[in-house]
Amino acid sequence: MLVTSLREGSKILIAAASPAARALDIRPGMAVTQARALVPGLDIRPADPEGDRAELTRLAIAAARHWSPVVALSGEDGMFIDITGTAHLFGGEEAMARRIVRLLARLGFTARIAVADSAGAAWALARYGPYARRGICRDDGRVLLCPPGAHSDAIATLPTIALRLEPAAIELLKRLGVDDIGQLAAMPRAPLVRRFGAFMVARIDQAMGRTSEPLDPVVPLKHIMICQRFAEPILTGEVIAHWLGHLIPQLTGKLGRAGRGARMIELVADRIDGRPQIIRIGVARASRDPAHLERLLLRRIETIDPGFGIDALTLHVRRSEPLGAQSFVERLDEETKPDLAPLVDTLATRIGTGRLWRSQPIESDVPERSVASAPVLDPPERAAAPLKPGDVRQLDRTADLHPWHHRWPRPIRMLRRPELLDHVIAELPDQPPRRFTWRGTTHRVVRADGPERVLGEWWKRASEQHSVRDYFRVEDEAGQRFWLFRRGDGERGETGDLSWFMHGAFG
Amino acid sequence: MTYSELQVTTHYSFLRGASSPEQVFTTAANMGMPALGVTDRNSVGGVVRALVAAEQISQQGYPIRMIAGCRLDLVDGTSLLVWPEDRPAWSRLTRLLTLGKGRADAQKGEKGQCFLHWEDVAEHAAGLVSAIVPGMTETFDQDDLALRWMVDVFGKRGHLCLTQHRRPGDPLRLHLLAEKARHFGLAPVATGDILYDTPDRRMLQDVVAAIRSKCTIDDLGFRRERSADRHLKSPEEMARRFKRYPEAIAATHAIVERCTFSLRELKEQYRYPDEVVISGKSPQDALAKMARTALEERFAPEPIPPAYTTLLEHELALVEEMGYAPYFLTVNSIVRFARSQEILCQGRGSAANSVICFVLGITSIDPVFHKLLFERFISTERHEPPDIDVDFEHERREEVIQWIYETYGRNHAAMTAVVSRFRTRGAVREVGKALGLSEDMTAALSGQVWGWSSDGLPPEHVEALNLDPTEQRLALTLDLAKQLIGTPRHLSQHPGGFVLAHGRLDELLPVEPAAMVDRRVVEWEKLDVEELGLMKVDILGLGMLGCMRRTFDLLRAHKDISLRLDSPLMQGEDRETFAMIQTADTLGVFQIESRAQMSMLPRMRPENFYDIAIQVAIVRPGPIQGDMVHPYLKRREQQRQGKVEIEYPSPKLRVVLEKTLGVPLFQEQAMQVAIEGAGFTGGEADRLRRAMATFKQTGGVGEFRDKLISGMLGNGISLDFAERLVKQIEGFGSYGFPESHAASFAKIAYASSWMKCHHPEIFCAALLNAQPMGFYAPAQIVRDAREHGVEALPVCINRSDWDTIVVPAPSDAPPNVRPRDTRFWGTDADWRSLLPIRLGMRIVLGLSEDDAAAIVKARAAGPFTSVEDAWRRSGVKPAALEKLARADAFQCLGLNRRQALWAIKGLGQAPLLLLTAADNRAGAIIPESHEPAVALIPLTAGREVVEDYRATQLTLRNHPLHFLRGELDRLRIRKCADLKTMKDGARVEVAGIILVRQRPGSAEGVVFVTLEDETGIANAILWKDRFEAQRRILMAASMISVVGHVQSESGVIHVVADRIVDHTHLLRGIGDLELPDMKMPGDGATRGGTIDPRDRSRLPLFDRLEEVIPIKSHDFH
Repeated sequence: MLVTSLREGSKILIAAASPAARALDIRPGMAVTQARALVPGLDIRPADPEGDRAELTRLAIAAARHWSPVVALSGEDGMFIDITGTAHLFGGEEAMARRIVRLLARLGFTARIAVADSAGAAWALARYGPYARRGICRDDGRVLLCPPGAHSDAIATLPTIALRLEPAAIELLKRLGVDDIGQLAAMPRAPLVRRFGAFMVARIDQAMGRTSEPLDPVVPLKHIMICQRFAEPILTGEVIAHWLGHLIPQLTGKLGRAGRGARMIELVADRIDGRPQIIRIGVARASRDPAHLERLLLRRIETIDPGFGIDALTLHVRRSEPLGAQSFVERLDEETKPDLAPLVDTLATRIGTGRLWRSQPIESDVPERSVASAPVLDPPERAAAPLKPGDVRQLDRTADLHPWHHRWPRPIRMLRRPELLDHVIAELPDQPPRRFTWRGTTHRVVRADGPERVLGEWWKRASEQHSVRDYFRVEDEAGQRFWLFRRGDGERGETGDLSWFMHGAFG
Repeated sequence: MTYSELQVTTHYSFLRGASSPEQVFTTAANMGMPALGVTDRNSVGGVVRALVAAEQISQQGYPIRMIAGCRLDLVDGTSLLVWPEDRPAWSRLTRLLTLGKGRADAQKGEKGQCFLHWEDVAEHAAGLVSAIVPGMTETFDQDDLALRWMVDVFGKRGHLCLTQHRRPGDPLRLHLLAEKARHFGLAPVATGDILYDTPDRRMLQDVVAAIRSKCTIDDLGFRRERSADRHLKSPEEMARRFKRYPEAIAATHAIVERCTFSLRELKEQYRYPDEVVISGKSPQDALAKMARTALEERFAPEPIPPAYTTLLEHELALVEEMGYAPYFLTVNSIVRFARSQEILCQGRGSAANSVICFVLGITSIDPVFHKLLFERFISTERHEPPDIDVDFEHERREEVIQWIYETYGRNHAAMTAVVSRFRTRGAVREVGKALGLSEDMTAALSGQVWGWSSDGLPPEHVEALNLDPTEQRLALTLDLAKQLIGTPRHLSQHPGGFVLAHGRLDELLPVEPAAMVDRRVVEWEKLDVEELGLMKVDILGLGMLGCMRRTFDLLRAHKDISLRLDSPLMQGEDRETFAMIQTADTLGVFQIESRAQMSMLPRMRPENFYDIAIQVAIVRPGPIQGDMVHPYLKRREQQRQGKVEIEYPSPKLRVVLEKTLGVPLFQEQAMQVAIEGAGFTGGEADRLRRAMATFKQTGGVGEFRDKLISGMLGNGISLDFAERLVKQIEGFGSYGFPESHAASFAKIAYASSWMKCHHPEIFCAALLNAQPMGFYAPAQIVRDAREHGVEALPVCINRSDWDTIVVPAPSDAPPNVRPRDTRFWGTDADWRSLLPIRLGMRIVLGLSEDDAAAIVKARAAGPFTSVEDAWRRSGVKPAALEKLARADAFQCLGLNRRQALWAIKGLGQAPLLLLTAADNRAGAIIPESHEPAVALIPLTAGREVVEDYRATQLTLRNHPLHFLRGELDRLRIRKCADLKTMKDGARVEVAGIILVRQRPGSAEGVVFVTLEDETGIANAILWKDRFEAQRRILMAASMISVVGHVQSESGVIHVVADRIVDHTHLLRGIGDLELPDMKMPGDGATRGGTIDPRDRSRLPLFDRLEEVIPIKSHDFH
């Protein structure tokens, strides 16, 4: 019994349920807690709607490449394939449908296909086929075939929900006692339009095939690349740079026409001994600026080993993002903020993206948790909305405490792991150590400040429920300043075992 | 030198502090602190509780004093603590708080906030000792504005708080602060900024902060308290920590010595409001004169029986001694005002013990006749004002409230507050939210909680949801929620408690604007106000009084009978009425309508008014737990048979206990037993009564036990009997009823029973119009009325008003000529004058009263002829008509629900002006357009019922279970009506819609369930283990069947359940079922009808749009 769950607002609902779970009366839209109460041991996994959508899109693209040029997505879980004129290539409608079902089964999908004259009818029959009047369609549970011209009759017994109407309209129809499409289609049209709007009549007509329904087909992305072969193998960096100067503007031109910007570009240099040399560059923000890209590539040319010569250069766009037309300057009268992205790209090509990050404060008193690294170009957090002129809070002259307050200094360098100290002499409960030994050296403390009491974050781990650390800033005779802490508050045993640790150093 | 903590935030600073005053005072007293200063944020809400806590702990031998104070958070961000030195300074503080709170606009969502500036503090600063609270890192500038203000305003009485925060640089900061204080001439004072009593409470503190910030604990970040160590520290520890600043420790002692103000002093300042009744007389003389005149009038022309005169003079003397005359006069004025406005009202509670109240007409219970005890009401030992509660008609109470404001002035009258506290449900929900549990999980968890429980959530219930109670977050939630229970969450106003004063009220306690416009509310609860001896009057609303007024109005209008509550007909002599009550046919009447009451009535068999008073009092947790019910019933039975003479342990107690057959049933009797039997003084007996309220916690009569028993033994009462009496007194706990109170309620109970007996249609209509009230939903009320022969007509666009009306009989037609219904209790004359009722539009869900009024107004010109006519003439939105259509109100136009809905959906949003003009010229409604006719499939009978329930929560058609009977017969489920003919102990299964689930606190976890099918109702009992095993089904299902055996005892039938089965899915199917004798449609051959419901399970893609019939059950606790 497998179900997937989805957070909607503050509720966690069931997004989908396996047939076994559905047999136990668990339905999509039900609260997970309710389901869990109904069925013990339910296997609940988080739903991934974006992943599903991406998968469906990939499937649609594959379909568009193989079966028909017109393939459109339909909701979260279906697609239209316009097989007009392509069915005979696959041995007729039925053979084609079965082939698709089999193929999808191999990919791990359970599919149901309905073939009908109109998109609306096919949609309805695929989902509500068992309601269709017997004897018109051939249906084996996987593939439903509706003979030409018979779709109006076939869908007449389907519930109105099969017409892709809004829930409000379906609810109203239900209250009016109109349960199936046939009843609805038989009703006079003018009063229907008056009550439900033209949309419903349009849906009826689309399902009946009286009006055409334009589909919004998926268009497979074309791979963007540029290739240059050479009559004579080239050997030197200068020549490669020269050719790159030609090729990159062509590539960015292609990108511009496709409305995209590159995030990752690969330069493949085919060596005559058949061992391609590859340079890969990534950019922090989608870009099609030839100068910038060229700079990044040129910087890496020296890593190409030409061997006995290179007979072709190819530039592939490996990853791209939509990027619309861009203005050079946003406003002429304004000084634009310096753009960090080129610098980041330059640095990243040098030392790798993994070594670049920004630090950002986290609201936690526990030192290890008070810093997090963030991606370099992530926008910094937005400031709070300014107060309205009449708001009394404007009169407040006390400032908020910044997470990194200058009066509460933290060491410049913190040890990755606190190190245990030996031979610590300190007075309980709250006095700083007089002497301690760290890494074999004994330090005598001459000045100290503290304690700074850091309480365990009990909601994170059960072991932190009572734990306390008392931090001290100490200075030894040599003027070295350290950051030490003791486990426990010196009064209550459950707060810690009174062992001492080194956690950092100032200056 | 010792240390007193002067900065304690209790949980009355809502969602800031984590400990109650009791907890902090207990801890502080144990540490040996001589005093504790309570400083809640912009509030003194907790000081009374703190005072009581301090006094109680002092009595136990740990002397500790409460220093009342307050933390003022000024608008500019400065915080200062203030403690009044004496009473005038306290008055200035309360006025300051009143001023600041008065600036908050509740309509802008600023309720409870307080806006103060330094200028305001300066004006009210005389006599206040103050200390400025520096921020976490603040060390003040050389020339700081706040410190300059501090010095200017408070001078020598100004201080600066030195508090360790346990952040880096603490010693330096304290040093700089002490320097700065010296520089400005302020004395430093050490404080701990206490938020909770012991370090363990830190987790709760964090959770409370998360609840306040409306975020989860993970997102709380630095909104958490940043300074550690907010628990109480002992004086020695504080002396050690501040050994560099001994003067700061000494300063606390100086402040404690200086602030000698005690809240008890307020009583000296307090005066009752003056009443201008008779000019030139003192209140006492005026009261005496009024009471004597009234007494004469009552008995005129007969002479006054001496008992009354004696009692009246005794009471008047007591009142004079205590100086309570103005109080009586005030209540009298309020009641007189209500009478003058024809607002029904009745005094209740202990006030009914007073002959003064009786003769003045405040209560209608004769204390001489009922031998009531005045000491219960007023006593010299108590020095507490008396307690007179007056019930008014629910709907018109507001008039009385506004009159009080106008008469006494807004500066002298205010409502008392109610502190709403976390109960299990709310605590689980809020803590769960704070710990990041999903909303549906917290909802499911709190759904496991029965009602208003305050016991926390045991892990079994969590396991019942298939959740793991050892999972860390869940375990924390359960644990912390338990700790949170009882914590105040916000302040709201008491529905009717008034505090009145002669002087300005804001000099006694802070007054703030309430959320409702024109209301002012004080910060203290009723209990607190009482504790300090201020006068309060309860202006309570009682729905049944409003209902009774409606019945009187209807009677006058339709049957030309004029009645009042004190009319002779209402005095409890009517044979038919008692016959009805004896068979427990009391649905809808006051008090004796609940399941427990109904099951007692056939055994009790009340025969006169006093029996009803006993009946009202006996079915209470107190008497039930004290095991008084069965002895009483047994003796009653014996007495009825005339067999045995009841024995009384002593002649003295015979007088006390005779009327209740030797069993003490009322609070007064417990007291009289103590006085007469054990030789208590009146005051001691009163202490006993007050201690009863805490029996539940303290677990018994405790200190009184020995005295009671030895006293009774001394009076020649046997030990056995004495112990039984003590046990019964214990049982009263906080649940006992005073006799006077029971008698007041019995009065209304009898009046409503009389009405139901003789004029059930009028009673039904009035009850429907007074909804929501009482125990039963409109569906049951209407059904009950129909079972008594009342003809109920459905809602109709052309005939219904907003209220349910009694349809007047045409003048020429003969009265009701139907054959008399056997279940009608009234006389033949009553039957002949029985009129039908027409349900009002108020039962239509979602219809607003304004729309209904517009429809009724437009209809005055003539009935509507079409949907469009109704729409154009009434001018209401089509959505309103749609609601009426859903309730099937267009049948008079020949339209069923679907046809009416179809027509309404064809209307535009507003009539076209052009067409309206054309209509006016033509003098008729011209339809906007002509449409082809549309044939809609008529509704099935089952669907009609479902739609009835959806639109109005009741049906006049068949009961839903009528349609399921075939299926239920197949399952061998019996009808509820069959239970009557079954033998005791027979095995049975009955099914029905759940009407009521009840788990009385007195019944140790037993759950009572009331089921309804088409033949009647069945009451099922689930023992605790059965309920726990099937808790989820019972809490979630709408329709169940109960398998068990019949328990039948003197006409009271229960099914004792072994097992319950969820049949909610059957209810779901009704909408698609035809009448049982019709063929199932939808077989594919005849298109139309609906889909065969049996196919559904095979069609997982089909979404269920169908809801279960929405029947709301009433769950009582």
